[in-house]
Amino acid sequence: MKKLRIGLVTRREMKGYVFLLPWLVGFVTFFLVPLVQSVWYSWHDVKVTATGLKMTWVGWENYRYIFQQDTVFTEQLTNFFTDSVLRLAVILVFSLVIAMMLNQPLKGKGVFRTLFFLPIIVVSGPVLERLVNEGATAVPLIESYGVNGIVEAMLPPMLARPLSSLFSQIILVLWYSGVPILIYMTGLQKIDSTLYEASMIDGANGWISFWKITLPALRPMILINGVYTLVFLATTGLNEVMATINDRMFRSGEPGGGYGIASSMAWVYALSLGLALIVLLLITKERKGKQIAIQKTGEQIAIERMHAERARNMKRKGGKKHGR
Amino acid sequence: MRKTRFNPDHFHPNQIPMYLVLVPLAIFMAVPIVFIINHAFKPIEELFAFPPRFLVENPVLDNFTRLARQASAGGISISRYIFNSLIVTVAVVFLSMVMSSMAAFALSKLRFRAKSTLMEINNLAMMFVPIAVIIPRYLLVDNLGMINTYFAHILPLVAMPVGMFLVKQFTDQVPDSLIEAAIVDGAGYFKVYHKIILPMIKPALATVAILAFQSVWNNTETSTMYTNKESMRTLTFYMSTLSSNTNSVAGQGMAAASSLIMFLPNLILFILCQSKVMNTMAHSGIK
Repeated sequence: MKKLRIGLVTRREMKGYVFLLPWLVGFVTFFLVPLVQSVWYSWHDVKVTATGLKMTWVGWENYRYIFQQDTVFTEQLTNFFTDSVLRLAVILVFSLVIAMMLNQPLKGKGVFRTLFFLPIIVVSGPVLERLVNEGATAVPLIESYGVNGIVEAMLPPMLARPLSSLFSQIILVLWYSGVPILIYMTGLQKIDSTLYEASMIDGANGWISFWKITLPALRPMILINGVYTLVFLATTGLNEVMATINDRMFRSGEPGGGYGIASSMAWVYALSLGLALIVLLLITKERKGKQIAIQKTGEQIAIERMHAERARNMKRKGGKKHGR
Repeated sequence: MRKTRFNPDHFHPNQIPMYLVLVPLAIFMAVPIVFIINHAFKPIEELFAFPPRFLVENPVLDNFTRLARQASAGGISISRYIFNSLIVTVAVVFLSMVMSSMAAFALSKLRFRAKSTLMEINNLAMMFVPIAVIIPRYLLVDNLGMINTYFAHILPLVAMPVGMFLVKQFTDQVPDSLIEAAIVDGAGYFKVYHKIILPMIKPALATVAILAFQSVWNNTETSTMYTNKESMRTLTFYMSTLSSNTNSVAGQGMAAASSLIMFLPNLILFILCQSKVMNTMAHSGIK
């Protein structure tokens, strides 16, 4: 009896691996192996020579250098994270608002949806760099009215810098909302409309239904969007930190250059990003108590649905009678 | 309450405030496309005009004719680059869709060991700066003997961690009861994947197709790093050398023209894919 069960389990696992295998092979060879190798390089002083790589073991020296001597990298890193917090919030809220608007009955909705999704083919292409250089990503009004000057004068530098960098790139930030809008909309479409009807009958207005029905139902989507957007912001070619890492990689021999240092910078960057994602996860998880509460009242929802159904039927019957 | 038809039949005054918000924002969203198209038709004086002008005033085809002349002067015909680009792009888009959806199905719905660990490793890889693995990847491609082959263009891009993440999150939303019901009715895992999972995650797959297309079509890195024969390089690489090798004034115009040419396939694929995305979303069976 026991043997049979083990056999069943492993057979099931085998089938799982069959599905996983193609991706796993590609992933391990082209992502995992280079990733592990780059950890190895980050503990070395790497010199690229004609005969191959010349490596000397330096231990944690590269990491020590980054944090104690290299002023550029750590500053860019903290700038990136303070900027990202603000941009993430703007993107998440903006795309939610747009997605909810586009979920309403509206003439020409299809065109709007296409237009809002359109920037995705621009932001991940090489065209973006040229657009930024041409200044097409800043709203001219903001600069000519000196909004940035006001912000910098009014607020402490801790807040002012991310804010003014947000304003100067506001269009760019909005362009990043393409995928988040799409993901939110799939989420919105999945919400059962009878829930809204039931809550309306119970006297809730739109504002309350938003907080009690829409937002809890969208929580998984918010998490997906948060992760996607943060990773996108971090790995886009316009990122200062990425540019620095790239630059250092090909400057071996100079202080603070070389592949070893670049590798350790990349790891510091990836790990701090991972930390940020864990924080994001905790923020969305914090409200899990509420979600459980909603699941617990599944019966209530069912009852509400029944009520709504009955109300609708009555309306329909009433209407018919009225018509006759 | 909600209509099944996507666009409502009648215009309603209630919608006016929404238009007031949506129309200006939609214009912002369309700005880059308008810019790219206008830029390609600008004569040289307008390209270098200061302050830079957004819209073209006297559209000319100069940039395109110069680009064509430059292209026909090269040693290898341009059709070879186009052929390379097509093979590589089709292969990467197709393989990445198949692989990520299969793996997402396994990681999300099937039971086996090391499942969550694999997902965490994928998420870590997603965060890692792609540039930092260039040298190890080069050594790997070299050791596998793939320099100057199509494999060198295709394989490094196929396992896309971000795509995998998106598809996995979508697959999680497919109700387990649906799969259980199918299995009770005698469907195998492959049938479940083919008949239930694939139709349900279409929006995510279309998104992955667009992302994968972006990453391969615009990629010059595989051409510069993993090939040293001109005949194995892609159109994108060729276009970028055309505009950077010649003198800077004429180069600017050619760069503008070539970026429009390189951008058009993006736009076409987007238009094809997005209607698919929107339609499946409007009628998706996931509730």
